[in-house]
Amino acid sequence: MTELVTITIDGEDHKVAKGMNIVDAAALVGVDIPHYCYHPHLSVAGNCRMCQVELNGRPKLEIACNTTASEGLKVNTHHTSKAVKDAQAATLEFILINHPLDCTVCDQAGHCKLQDYHYEYNARPSRFLEEKEHKVKAQPLGPTVMLDGERCIMCSRCVRFCDEITKTSEIGLINRGDKTVIAVDPKHPLSNPLSGTVVDLCPVGALTHREWRFNTRIWFTKQADAICPGCSTGCNVKVATRDGEVVQVKARHNAEVNKEWLCDEGRYGFMRFLPKKRITGVQVHGKAASLQDAAKALKGMQGEGTYVFIAPDLTTEEYRLLKKLKDTALKSAHFVLAYKERSLTDVEKVLISPDYAPNFKGALMCGLVEGNLQKNYEDALAAVIDGSAKQVLVFGDRGILASDASVLMTAAVGRASLTAFIGTDATHPLAEVCSVVIGARSILERSGVLVNRGLRVQYTDKVIEPPQDTVPTWKVLSEIAKVFVVALPAWISDRDVTLWYLAEEQKLAGMTIKSIKQNSLVIGDAHGN
Amino acid sequence: MTHKQILLQNIHQPNQHTISGYESRGGYQTIKKVLRMDPAAVIEEVKASGLRGRGGAGFSTGTKWGFVPKNSGKPVYLLNNADESEPGTFKDRVLLERDPHLCIEGMIMAGWALQSNWSAVYIRGEYGYPFTRINEAVKEAYAKGYLGENIFGSGFTHHMVVHRGAGAYICGEETALINSLEGVKGQPRLKPPFPAVVGLYGCPTIVNNTETLAALPFILEHGAKSYTALGTEKSPGTKLFSVSGHVNKPGVYEIELGYPMEKFIYEDCGGIRGGKKLKAVIPGGSSVPVLRADEIKNVTMDYESIRDAGSMLGSGGFIVMDEDTDMVQVAMNVAHFYSHESCGQCTPCREGGHWIEKIFTRIHHGNGLAGDLELVNNVCGQIAGHTICPFGEALAIPAMSFIKKFPEEFKGLIKDSLVGINKKRELMHYEEIMGAH
Repeated sequence: MTELVTITIDGEDHKVAKGMNIVDAAALVGVDIPHYCYHPHLSVAGNCRMCQVELNGRPKLEIACNTTASEGLKVNTHHTSKAVKDAQAATLEFILINHPLDCTVCDQAGHCKLQDYHYEYNARPSRFLEEKEHKVKAQPLGPTVMLDGERCIMCSRCVRFCDEITKTSEIGLINRGDKTVIAVDPKHPLSNPLSGTVVDLCPVGALTHREWRFNTRIWFTKQADAICPGCSTGCNVKVATRDGEVVQVKARHNAEVNKEWLCDEGRYGFMRFLPKKRITGVQVHGKAASLQDAAKALKGMQGEGTYVFIAPDLTTEEYRLLKKLKDTALKSAHFVLAYKERSLTDVEKVLISPDYAPNFKGALMCGLVEGNLQKNYEDALAAVIDGSAKQVLVFGDRGILASDASVLMTAAVGRASLTAFIGTDATHPLAEVCSVVIGARSILERSGVLVNRGLRVQYTDKVIEPPQDTVPTWKVLSEIAKVFVVALPAWISDRDVTLWYLAEEQKLAGMTIKSIKQNSLVIGDAHGN
Repeated sequence: MTHKQILLQNIHQPNQHTISGYESRGGYQTIKKVLRMDPAAVIEEVKASGLRGRGGAGFSTGTKWGFVPKNSGKPVYLLNNADESEPGTFKDRVLLERDPHLCIEGMIMAGWALQSNWSAVYIRGEYGYPFTRINEAVKEAYAKGYLGENIFGSGFTHHMVVHRGAGAYICGEETALINSLEGVKGQPRLKPPFPAVVGLYGCPTIVNNTETLAALPFILEHGAKSYTALGTEKSPGTKLFSVSGHVNKPGVYEIELGYPMEKFIYEDCGGIRGGKKLKAVIPGGSSVPVLRADEIKNVTMDYESIRDAGSMLGSGGFIVMDEDTDMVQVAMNVAHFYSHESCGQCTPCREGGHWIEKIFTRIHHGNGLAGDLELVNNVCGQIAGHTICPFGEALAIPAMSFIKKFPEEFKGLIKDSLVGINKKRELMHYEEIMGAH
């Protein structure tokens, strides 16, 4: 149990954990202390001077970020101290004297802390009449990130991230005074697997994604709070879309999961979950059919020779539905989750999980699969190859991982007596050979519950509208359930399914979509059981 | 007048920089006595002597030593701050060049008092010759066994290295010095924690000025009483002043604290060059407020009297300016120095320093605007007290003092109103465009 101390912020007493940073403590009780350089998961640099506060009534202001909560500490912020207000306005005036006023063409405009704070804490015309310092413009720091030296406010967050988190130390601050600029050694560009994170950390528009520069103004986008479906870390992301296209992926702060980091694979590869050429409609033996017909065609999916391959990026609701089928109609079928581990470098280990399975813990939690997932998956693949799998049902593009969907494997699937593929990618080899093909939706096109490797229950929002003529996987499952006379409620939306699931699942008793979104709760023990 | 010479008494001896020369005049004798004393007693003796840090802040040396936590289980480091870079200050250079063993002996004494087994001389990068001298002196001391293990048979180990800076004024600030010594960029650290608790490599560290350390052999040889017998009650002892500017005899002087300033200028330093009138004095290096000639009457050269006159004793960089000096140019020069030397870490100093320099430059070139002086004062107020290290004040306080003390000189150069200058700019722009066609 952490010791609590009483501190006074703007005249009000609050109980906070002893040793807590004052910026965080104030935020916790609803007082916003503006800051640029401070980040809760990086070391304290104290260089922006934006978070100055009055401590214990002393006339000399101190920075809140280098102060920790102790019994009886009295903090006065800009709400109650004129000196603090003046210091904030002064700091902003200083920062802006050499900052170009190019908001009209700056990608950060609209989500820029300098803009926000200027309106909130200064909003007066500059008294600076001299020539501004000129620095490097459009300087690539590496394959992913572009620097605009003039916009940089030297907060050193990117430098500290590369020093302290990835420990790759690519970025440094060179030169002195107002000639200071961030730079990389040309021989060692910023190229670590988390490099794009520095753009999220940059409070201004100095660092931008080379991938997404100048693509849209942020206020024209729709933003969704999603969970990255790349691996089981379950990083919280904010995805901006415009006209049905992803235009930027940002890390969302979650102290328990990804802090505010995101890997480049997840960020720049976010679109890989939305194939360019989609499977639409329902085909049975190459002919367009209704979903009901397709479900009827699957009636033969019974007995020992039935293998159900399940992608690791379905929602937990869908796993629950599959489990219902497993318990009732498809008792003798083999249910396998496509799970495979890979080796990671030290830098990747900072964030990335060694799997490609964002929700395998959800499948485990539902009791859908158990035991050694990778071995079961490999055994099932072997069963397909040797022909002992007579009926093959594949849920999701990653039901059989791309690396395993070889020509041999595809041919083997083609030889099975009854095969079905419920997926999204029309170029997927299985889409060619399966007798029943159903155009489903990507994880980015639906909302639902995902469970990460630490058994944290998280909710992902729908990022993008699904194309016409595709059906959600839960709908396919409920049609199959009808064929096998398994009773299920009639749903019309993802949300209905989630609500049904939350009522059904004992382990999540009392949780609502809202509470999951706010707190991202952990269930079970630390070992993931 | 002849002053009691503690630090400079032997600098004119041609062989004083060698160990044999130093020993022939009684060097390395007191240390043998000190090594038999209780370290706590050494600290007490230094406290009693009232010795104050000679780098600029003037903080009690013995008290500073007392901040080192006892039994922390970590090594204690002693650093000799010889990064003398303040414009107008060149006093430590004389000691390092002419009497390096005095510095070394003082460092071993401080090392014993702090129970530190490792010390470093951080010397300004531009000090090539003093570096050679102190480096050779350290080698000599090692060769004779005065440094290393079991010094003078006392069982005490003390190692010393000499490290050259890379040309940054800010590395004279103790935490920037520590960073520089560790091999990272020379930028001040946040305080707290203070270096006496968390310093070099995270261990307790004491940073003392060269002159401070060089005063220790006298104090510990003759006792605190003979030191307090010199100078004033609150500013005991002697202090080096490096005199530059428009005097007949510039140079480094060792005088007893409390000596009258006018007497010092007109007698010791031989008066103003060319018989001209005195205009202003910067008594403690360029980071302290300037004093007008009429303000130094009855001022004595000690911490308190100079403070009461509205300036600081600082490092003892004594800059004398005669009646022909253009104070706007001086202000511009000083502002240029500080904007160039700002480490660039924290916002007010990084951005504000250059802004002030630009305004002063503009005024100097006759482009001053009405309201500029108020602007400079306001900007200085926005810098001072809001920075990580005292550099902010070093920049802002003298800048304000020039305007406060010599307002007429600045105002004389400000002819245009803001409206006028904007019109002029517009016209220039128009002409530029027209000329292009």
